[in-house]
Amino acid sequence: MTTEHNVLGRSLPRVDALDKVTGRATYAADVYLPDMLMCKVLTSPRSHARIVSMDTSKAEQVPGVRAVITGNDFPDRYFGSGAVRDRRIMARDEVFYIGEPVAAVAADDEVTAQEALELVEVEYEDLETIVDPLEAIREGSTLVHPDMPNFEGYGFAMGGNNCTLLDADRGDVDQAFRDANQVFEETYHSQAINQGFLEPMACAANVEANGRLTVWASTQGPYQVRAQLASVLDIPLSSIKVNAMELGGGFGAKLRLAFEAFPALLAMKTGRPVKLINTREEVFTLNGPRLATTIHLKTGVTSDGQITAREAHSVFDVGAYLGAGPNAGVGHALGAYDIPNFRLRSYGVYTNKIYVGSYRASGVADMHFAVESHMDSIAHQIGLDPLEFRLKNVVKEGDANVSGASVPANGLLETIEAVKEKMSLPRKSEEGRGIGISLGEWRSGSGPSTASISVNEDGTVSLLTGSVDISGSDTSLAQIAAETLGVELDQVIVAKRDTDMAPFTGPSGGSRIVYSQGKAVQMAAEDARDRLVGLAAERFGVPSEALSCEGGRVYVQDNPPQSLTLSQLAAASLTSRSGPIIGMAALSSMPYAPVFNTQAAEVIVDKATGQVRVTRFVQAQDVGVAINPMGVEGQLEGGAVQGIGRALSEEMQIDPETGRVRNPSLSTYLMPLAIDMPAIENILVGVPSADGPFGARAVAEPPGFGPPAAIANAIYDAVGIRIKELPLSADRVLAALQGQDGDEYHIDVEALKKAETG
Amino acid sequence: MARFEYLEAHTVRQALSMYRRHAPNVRYVAGSTDFLIRSRMGNWNPEYVVNIQHIPALQRTSFSRRNGLRLGALTTVQTLQDHESVQTHYPALAAAAASFAGVQVRNLATVGGNICNASPAGDTLPALLAFNAQCLSTGPEQGEQRSTALDEFFTGPGRTVLEPGELLTEIRLPRPEPNTGSLYIKHSPRGAMDIATVGVASAVTLAADRRTCKDVRIGLGAVAPTPIRAYAAEGILRGNEITPESLAACAEEARNTASPIDDVRGSAVYRKEIVGVLTLRTLERAVEMARDGTMAFETQRRLAVQAAF
Ligand SMILES: Cc1cc2nc3c(=O)[nH]c(=O)nc-3n(C[C@H](O)[C@H](O)[C@H](O)COP(=O)(O)OP(=O)(O)OC[C@H]3O[C@@H](n4cnc5c(N)ncnc54)[C@H](O)[C@@H]3O)c2cc1C
Repeated sequence: MTTEHNVLGRSLPRVDALDKVTGRATYAADVYLPDMLMCKVLTSPRSHARIVSMDTSKAEQVPGVRAVITGNDFPDRYFGSGAVRDRRIMARDEVFYIGEPVAAVAADDEVTAQEALELVEVEYEDLETIVDPLEAIREGSTLVHPDMPNFEGYGFAMGGNNCTLLDADRGDVDQAFRDANQVFEETYHSQAINQGFLEPMACAANVEANGRLTVWASTQGPYQVRAQLASVLDIPLSSIKVNAMELGGGFGAKLRLAFEAFPALLAMKTGRPVKLINTREEVFTLNGPRLATTIHLKTGVTSDGQITAREAHSVFDVGAYLGAGPNAGVGHALGAYDIPNFRLRSYGVYTNKIYVGSYRASGVADMHFAVESHMDSIAHQIGLDPLEFRLKNVVKEGDANVSGASVPANGLLETIEAVKEKMSLPRKSEEGRGIGISLGEWRSGSGPSTASISVNEDGTVSLLTGSVDISGSDTSLAQIAAETLGVELDQVIVAKRDTDMAPFTGPSGGSRIVYSQGKAVQMAAEDARDRLVGLAAERFGVPSEALSCEGGRVYVQDNPPQSLTLSQLAAASLTSRSGPIIGMAALSSMPYAPVFNTQAAEVIVDKATGQVRVTRFVQAQDVGVAINPMGVEGQLEGGAVQGIGRALSEEMQIDPETGRVRNPSLSTYLMPLAIDMPAIENILVGVPSADGPFGARAVAEPPGFGPPAAIANAIYDAVGIRIKELPLSADRVLAALQGQDGDEYHIDVEALKKAETG
Repeated sequence: MARFEYLEAHTVRQALSMYRRHAPNVRYVAGSTDFLIRSRMGNWNPEYVVNIQHIPALQRTSFSRRNGLRLGALTTVQTLQDHESVQTHYPALAAAAASFAGVQVRNLATVGGNICNASPAGDTLPALLAFNAQCLSTGPEQGEQRSTALDEFFTGPGRTVLEPGELLTEIRLPRPEPNTGSLYIKHSPRGAMDIATVGVASAVTLAADRRTCKDVRIGLGAVAPTPIRAYAAEGILRGNEITPESLAACAEEARNTASPIDDVRGSAVYRKEIVGVLTLRTLERAVEMARDGTMAFETQRRLAVQAAF
């Protein structure tokens, strides 16, 4: 890594490491306040039903119960987690899935609250239910929300159960298909998955003496929680303060309002603090997971292996409400390839099951499995090496991306080369063993970002941002500040934030913190540095350009002993004309900076049982500049592990009749263990981005989306079967090995096209 | 989690009298690794819980070449894995223990609890069946003792021959035969902390010629309402020469014996498919061990969780 840097590019330990490993870090569940009550939530046992009546009187009489709320206790309002306001915070007269909250209790302890819940009497009248999204999108299907067209935010979609439709078009696709030498069509399916964070959702709420509401939340987006909470409670946003607590993982599941409204309303009713902690079962049944997606791809190829056209139709299950999105994956149907003609469509479909949420690279991860498996499949069918076929078609600097923007300089080819070399590709393995590759693009996350930096009288630096640390980003932000101001990392204090104290910032998601928030920190640090230098220039009577800020001091370049320490300058600033030293910066968006990642998996397939074992995993990613290489590798490794789990064993099993989650437990929802993992080898490629802080690009999402395709492609290489459904479980692999047709899902593309043209 | 009264027994007599005093809504607990989960899920709601974990008489484990292995009901699964005599003379049982959950659970879970819980997928059960285990138990009234073959112990999923209040005290495994090899293989998507989709234990004893099968016992897990012996399959091999064909025929018959169901852990079709595969593999390894003597425990452990194939 770069040598002219002092703090940047070094694998320094995380600023919060000691607090976390010693158990001192405080999470939302660790909040204890005097007279605090515990909250439990009653959920619907019905898939779709009218609530005929509700009686909470017996529950209210249980000793120790302080309040019971139902949907009728909330203002009569809809809110939305995605684009459409389709949802109430608690069911009022109708439930749309098994697990939908219908009442909540605050009691002296959890056991009492639970006992009281069981005494709440609800009478339901069942309504018709639809669970399968491919059936739900058909014309004439049972409707989940007949009043959908009236939902605020409902815009361009086909109606029926189709609530969102995203599209992207270029060129004459039909003509291009006619001109192509060969056209390939395949359908892929990815399963419903849970985000798998370690810390179950928790929150506490209290009404302060001045009447304001304080919330302690386990969230990636404190400002989003504040706004949505104000909306569902119908109180001014300014009357809420959200404390963003330490986060034990989020992966997109904690981007928005979750259950904070229940303890909040109960706190308002009782005048006492109220806390809610989810059980692991509730993590699976109460909070939006990623639901299944089915993708039909059609690709036209010339005789020399050039892709001329791509068509994609993806149907993604939204569940009862659009809890995220809409699907970000549509543009990624092109993959990391330059394809002149395309028609891309993505349909969100309501069904009676738990609402969809975000998950690391939502939508893109599903699309990536389809596209990179399809690429591999085509390569084999036209007799080209899979890597060679990809290289013929990859995007290059200056090509137009899916939205027409010019692709800037990047390290895609270097990542491919690095993996090729490390894995000695192309290479033929012995029977039962195989290697598969996949590659993909992510765009460094953007969005509103702010930072403020003050220099303290002892020369230390206080950094304040509103962004939550979900990935070690506090350490990277502190390194950016330290490097810019020429101080050591331990001289930077990262403030714990709440929405009253820190300026607005976007949520921690989409790999945006280091790229965008980091830019704001860099700019704020430069601002503070300019003020320090300006003050020193005044004192020395020299122009600012003659000074440098490094090693904890500002000195005259031609005469370094002539210097003032940051501590001296900060002390002097208190009585100076311009006042104490603070630096500030704000930005709303950042330019397009792609992140490319190439992966290769080596597998063994047990042909008798269908069991697949990943024996080696190599990935290379263009990270621009690694602010903290250890942190970057941690993200790459964690992403690969999540992706391997998604590839092989993770699946939320949803009952096809009722939409109930059948495996709401870590003993039946199988996240991989250390024992199941190969060694993961990471290669960091560094082609600096034009605008990121010190040239950094985003890191977190790309490593997670590659493994399913890489492993599926490796299985093909090993035993010659193409599995198009996730997970690549032993029973599925064995069935395919025995020659059973694995095509389990079908999208009626013609019907969708017809519906579009009217 | 429901409320209950918690009692601790320090002798078998005390446990039985606690049961009598509070019958019938009493549940014994040992390691509580099944109990806590069922209780939290609301499936088990006893008024009284009698913890038997501190009864010294149920904690003893002994081995002699004459009497074989005696396991107090409280023997932990971790002890089964680590016990030298178990590793040497009853390797399938040690391998089964090694494939069981993770170390924290193994340190709490007892063999008695695994038997009394009577899950068709209980990991120690196929191996215990393959070693002809006998269960000693004591009834609550007169303290009457009886011995039941493990094979007759299970009456359905989660059900056993134990009368209400009857306590399982000891498990006895007959003395090991020379020229015997055995192995357990567990199929599950994860390499640890997972319940068996299918589990198979086979024990093979060779005749002096080292080619003829003198005896064979096969225990199958998670393919029927209870763990079962594959008697018909054993009959194909017993007394006959060991050949690839005879082993395959035996495994095929084990497959026919299985009557699995669909559940969250796997489909009936898939279970049926692999029970034959696992039977064949355990038989082949058992024959190898019977011929060549011991196999390194680490190798057995890896085979048991399919970390090597
Ligand atoms: C995380 C986790 C992972 C697990 N993984 C596995 C696994 O891989 N393989 C597997 O087989 N099991 C597994 N289990 C299940 C469980 O650990 C085993 O069944 C264990 O052997 C039970 O023993 P225990 O002592 O904890 O039983 P307890 O929970 O104390 O009791 C279980 C039942 O047996 C009865 N009981 C116990 N001892 C006696 C006795 N001496 N006489 C009469 N009745 C008695 C109890 O009344 C109760 O009904 C797992 C459990 C957990 C929590």
